[in-house]
Formats: sequence, C-alpha cells, structure tokens
Amino acid sequence: MIIEQLEEPLPGSILPTLGGSWYTDPDVFALEQERIFSTQWMCVLRGDDLPAAGDYRLVQVGREQVVVSRNRRGEIRAFLNVCRHRGMRVCTEPAGTARKFQCGYHAWTYDLDGKLVAAPNLTKMPDVDRDAYGLRGVAVQEWMGYVWVCLAPEPPSFTGTVLGDLVTRLGEAETFDAWQVADLRLGKRIAYDVHANWKLIIENFMECYHCATIHPELTEVIPEFADGWAAQTYVGRGAEFGDGVEGFTVDGSAGVTPLPLLTADQERRYFAVTIKPTVFVNMVPDHVVVHRMFPTAVDRTYVECDWLFLPEVVEAGTDVSRSVELFDRVNRQDFEACERTQPAMSSVAYADGGSLVPAEHHIEAFHAWVREQLG
Amino acid sequence: MHRLCSLSDLTPGEGLRVDSVAPPVAVFLAEDGTVHAIDDTCTHQDASLAEGWLEDGAVECPLHESRFCLRSGVPDGGPARGAVRVHRAEVVDGEVLVELSTAAPCLPPGVVSA
Repeated sequence: MIIEQLEEPLPGSILPTLGGSWYTDPDVFALEQERIFSTQWMCVLRGDDLPAAGDYRLVQVGREQVVVSRNRRGEIRAFLNVCRHRGMRVCTEPAGTARKFQCGYHAWTYDLDGKLVAAPNLTKMPDVDRDAYGLRGVAVQEWMGYVWVCLAPEPPSFTGTVLGDLVTRLGEAETFDAWQVADLRLGKRIAYDVHANWKLIIENFMECYHCATIHPELTEVIPEFADGWAAQTYVGRGAEFGDGVEGFTVDGSAGVTPLPLLTADQERRYFAVTIKPTVFVNMVPDHVVVHRMFPTAVDRTYVECDWLFLPEVVEAGTDVSRSVELFDRVNRQDFEACERTQPAMSSVAYADGGSLVPAEHHIEAFHAWVREQLG
Repeated sequence: MHRLCSLSDLTPGEGLRVDSVAPPVAVFLAEDGTVHAIDDTCTHQDASLAEGWLEDGAVECPLHESRFCLRSGVPDGGPARGAVRVHRAEVVDGEVLVELSTAAPCLPPGVVSA
C-alpha cells in the first residue's frame, strides 16, 4: 500500500531519484559511454604527469584507450591506442617514455605527433598518406594544470561546458583564479577502485545529508555540514570552518602555507565544484583536492584523487599527511557507502528509484542532464 | 656540389628526406645549428632515417633503433651492420649544398640505388 501512496504526488519534500536500472543496466552504461564520456571534455591527467618530451600515459575514455603524450615541442597530444594497420594496441605499457610509438606486430611506427613515419617497405608505398594513416588524434585542452580530452570529432565549447559548471557553482569563473590550481604541485595522489556506478559517486559528492552520519572528521572541521546542506547547494559561498579549527586537516590542526591570493570570504572556508561528467574539485585555504573518475563498467569506477599544494610546500618536503588524511578518510567513507548502495540498485525495492530530500533536490538537475544526454 | 634544399626547409632537431637524388639523402639540422647529410635508407631494412630521432650527433632509425653517427655514418647498436654514406654538406646563401659521396652505397635487401 505504501507503494501506491508513493505513486501519488507528494507535497514537495520528496523528489524521485533515477530508477535502479540506471545504475545496473549494461545497456544504459553503453549509452553513457557513447553519449556522455565520448562527447564531453574528460579530465584525464595532470600536465606534470608528462614532464618531458616522449612521456606518455594510457587512459580510459568511454570505450576507448587513449595515449596521452608530450611531443618534442613540449605540446600535449592524444591518440587512440589502435594501430592503423591491423589494429593492435600500439602502446602496451600503462606509462613510459618513447621516442616514437611502434606497433609490436608489424612495426608500423608513428612519431610523437601521431604521424606514420616508418613501416617495413613503406618507402615503396609512396601513395600512403603519412597523416591519413597516422594514429587517430583526439582533441586536447589544458586547463587548471590538467589535460582534458574529447573523443568527439567536433568537441563542445570548453567554456560552455567545463567552465559553465564552474560558473554555476562559483557565480563567475574568475573567482576560481584565486586558488591558482594550474600553478600548484602534486603533493599526494591516491587511487581508489570503487565497485559502484559512477552516478552514485557523483550523487554522493553533490549532497551533504550524509555528512553527519558517515563523515565525523569532516563534520568536526565544518560543523555546518551537520545540518545536511551541502556547499554545492549555494552559489559562490563556501562552508565555514568551525570555531577553533585551524586548518582543513584530519584533526583540525593548522594546515600548510596558505594560498596567497584568496580573499577574506575564501579563507577558512571549503568550496566544492562538480564538473560534469567525472570531476570534483574541492578548494580549501592551503590546498586543492581534484578527483577524476574513470567509469570502467556499469558497477565499477576507477577514481584518482590529487592533493595539490603550493610548489614551495611540495619542494620543501613539508609533511602534508594530516591534510591528505582528512579527505582520504572522506573518500573511503563515501566509496564504502556507494559500494553498499550498488548491490541494492537491482532490488525490486529500488526499481522505481529512491527519494531525494530537500537538501538533495539539486541532484535532480544532474539526473535531468544525464537523461538529456542519453536522449 | 648538389643543392638539396633550402636551410629554411629544415626544422631544428629534425630530418628531411630528399629524393631528387638516388639513393635518397637525409638532411638534418642539428640543435647546434650544424647541417648534416647522410644516405636516408637504413642499411638494415628499408626505412627513412630522416624520420628518426636525432640526438647527440646521431640519428636513431625509426624502425629498429640502430643509431647512425651523422659524422661517420657508422651504426652503434641495433641490428644494422653497414654504415650509411656521409655527404659533405655546407650552407651557402641559405641553400644546403652537398658533395655526394662517390663510395658505393650500403643498402638493405630489396632496395636498389637507382
């Protein structure tokens, strides 16, 4: 009878989530790979991950494996990791340094710009266009110190999509400049293999209704989270540190050297931005935490989380472990919750989805966006 | 002297294959500004050395990584055994001129010089 009641319009407090199959159906995930991860700008790695010419890394974008590399002129390039001859994976190590990309099957060889430069007997095939038979290129942008790629032949406007999400949260994109994210250095990176659908992770990140229950350390530092309203429900306002809290650390003790350009209303506060589809950025007075998600299956998501500090902090070998531990604990708490949610998504009890309370209503905009992308 | 190309056709750190002569010649503009010309075809298997990686006065064949010295033509490591010919190159009024070697070229199996 309760189910019948829920089919009636409720007086405003509860909005529905997506139905359970959105989190379990491989066909939905295949559509997401095609219409979201293969059409949007995807943040794949930090530019500093490729310090020298010839450095490369493999990343998963949608269904594709992409080689991201730096050419001899220091420019970032990205290619599909597919030999144009017979299709073998050209790069077989997850990361490395190369002077060329050579397929291990018939030795078709590509330069760091992806152009076909050598193959057995290639000089006797002068009609083979070296660019047309080069590795298939992928669009690249660098922003925030990160490399973003887009598989679409005609990528959407970076300003309209990535920076648009920033404006939605902060009010204006320039506000973000105060954290100087491109100039910061990697202090710590932790990877998480999360057995949950990527949307559960996004939804978790967007709300703080769960904070008082599963994030005791975070709620100590930011007591206002105990009322359940997330930083992501406001525009341009950060969540305040508690009285007596000295820094965004696991025990509220002082952090490291503060970022110098922050304004008074950015100090002692925590800001969070979701950049669809797979990036979270958290900004606090002395560091920035960037999450990149790589959905690999309908029920599995690989997450890399970077803690970025001022260059002098990293170069001096300053102990940042208390800063790192706070969000690492938050991550583990969140991902455990997502992993305990995932198995229930296929239950008959969740076939029509669950409930969003008022402090979570803004998640509906994310669901609307997903529906719109999938058509 | 043969004119192979203009200096402006060359990119520092890279090679250019010139096939107006037979066998083709690879011209390199090294990072130190010097210009070098050697036979373009690797002596091990048919591949263009002009597309190879130029570093420390040697070019690495893009196919199997034999490194040929730009001054001696001798390979150092990798499967190639024979040396490529070195042609004396100079730049006159922005043009790259070479005195083609009269030695017999060392070419890989299946490649003929004319």
